[in-house]
Amino acid sequence: MRDDLKELWRFRELLGAMVERELRIRYKNSVLGILWSLLNPLVTVAVMNFVLKNVMQNDTQSFSAYILAAYLPFMFFQLAVLDSSQSVLAALPVVKKVYFPREILPLASVISNGVHFLIALVVYFVFIFVVWASTGFGTPPVTYKLWFLPVLLLIHFSLATGLSLFFSALNVFYEDVKYALTIVLYLAFFLTPVMYFAETVYYATRKYGAMADLLYTVFMSNPVATICTAYRKVLVAPGKIQVLINGHAEQIQPRPLDWTLFGLAAVLSFVVLIGGYAFFNRMKWKFVERP
Amino acid sequence: MSEVLVKLENVHKEFVLSHSGASSIKTLLLWWKRRSKEKLNALNGISFEVKRGESVALIGRNGAGKSTTLSLISRIYKATSGTVTVNGRLAPLLELGAGFHPDLTGLDNVLFNGMIMGLTRKQVTERLPQIIAFAELDKHIDAPVRTYSSGMLARLGFAVAVHVDADVLIVDEVLAVGDFTFEKKCYDFIDQFRKQGGTILFVSHNAESVKRVADRCVWLKGGLVHMDGDPESVLASYQADAAAPNEGL
Repeated sequence: MRDDLKELWRFRELLGAMVERELRIRYKNSVLGILWSLLNPLVTVAVMNFVLKNVMQNDTQSFSAYILAAYLPFMFFQLAVLDSSQSVLAALPVVKKVYFPREILPLASVISNGVHFLIALVVYFVFIFVVWASTGFGTPPVTYKLWFLPVLLLIHFSLATGLSLFFSALNVFYEDVKYALTIVLYLAFFLTPVMYFAETVYYATRKYGAMADLLYTVFMSNPVATICTAYRKVLVAPGKIQVLINGHAEQIQPRPLDWTLFGLAAVLSFVVLIGGYAFFNRMKWKFVERP
Repeated sequence: MSEVLVKLENVHKEFVLSHSGASSIKTLLLWWKRRSKEKLNALNGISFEVKRGESVALIGRNGAGKSTTLSLISRIYKATSGTVTVNGRLAPLLELGAGFHPDLTGLDNVLFNGMIMGLTRKQVTERLPQIIAFAELDKHIDAPVRTYSSGMLARLGFAVAVHVDADVLIVDEVLAVGDFTFEKKCYDFIDQFRKQGGTILFVSHNAESVKRVADRCVWLKGGLVHMDGDPESVLASYQADAAAPNEGL
């Protein structure tokens, strides 16, 4: 693996060029370009916010900030894994002709989606500050917890990269991987606290008595769920949230981040990264010999 | 000037044949016990060297292992056993602009392709005027590649490959594209490249281009080096062999 990393470092300029190329292709063919792809999550979240507040009648303060803070990371994760799973297969004609470290292909997909995610985060901050200003400068929308954002990004990127490497290699040999992945990621969206809170899950599991904590842990052992929850703790200044407790809607203070679960997600992410890269390296010489 | 740039030692390459085509998870689950493991030995222990300044042609029938050999040297395949050593930079001539992205301009694609071949961004930028001139594209260079004709694509691909300052130029039968003038330009370039001490390794079925370009000829047969020598005599025996009626492989 060390030799593979050295080789990758030698080709870092190509990786940079490929990221640039992907971003360019993404923004080139539409007039609105980058604006268009930022508008998409904002509109989605606006609709979600409308439905959750007015149809589902959840009265959480700054709900849209909570949704955005989990939706943007989830979208990054989903797009990065989906895009990169196709990357090697799509580039197979080049792969068959020229040598370059093959991992550059999925990495470029992850990084270009990552760059897009970072731009979206900037838009998020603009959004919450505009809301803060328009509501008469109440409690500041960010807290000191923001220092933790880089750590969180590192863990999140590791998980996305690891899975991308794994699936991009697998997809070369089994083309239906992409379809299975689309369905799994779609379902994962509902199992990730984006349109609800980790606290909602916590109180929903309370009625199972002795099993309660186990069920909650199982639900949150999905690293994406824990990572998205962590983004909320870091990005949104804690205000009261509305959850159902024993069938009654109640406004509560958010629970602090569960560090055991978070540690688990972090360890899992790094294991996935190393495992994914090892798998990719084992398969990468066979890409061109694909039947 | 007798530094060895490419060296193959007892190289074997084995492919696993599959009869089911591209597989899916379903076929994996259903047929995991019955997966065909038929092997094809493309190369059965090839050894040869290419020294600096040589121009070597690989000839042989279809399936003799010519393209496999080139791919092994270009590090696209990994040898099953044996060693392949390459000293210096290789430039493979790509087929009809493989690796070009249709939606990007010619210019962006040149940058990208140059970097795939191991140049830095700065080096590609410095060579841009020469590349554009060589490809005879002038103002078309700013148009998306999808608007190019196949001749333009071939010219651009060739132009990039010849400007990466390669130690070894790898050519797999792509000289037949483009019109007559461009073909002549390619041959002129190859002549010039050889005069400057460049090394060429190419595959061709065309006896004329072998005689024209090569100063050594390696005949592959059944995954082995059958004959290695000056083009005239190797080609003569090759053609005699091809004319022989009862020939296995």
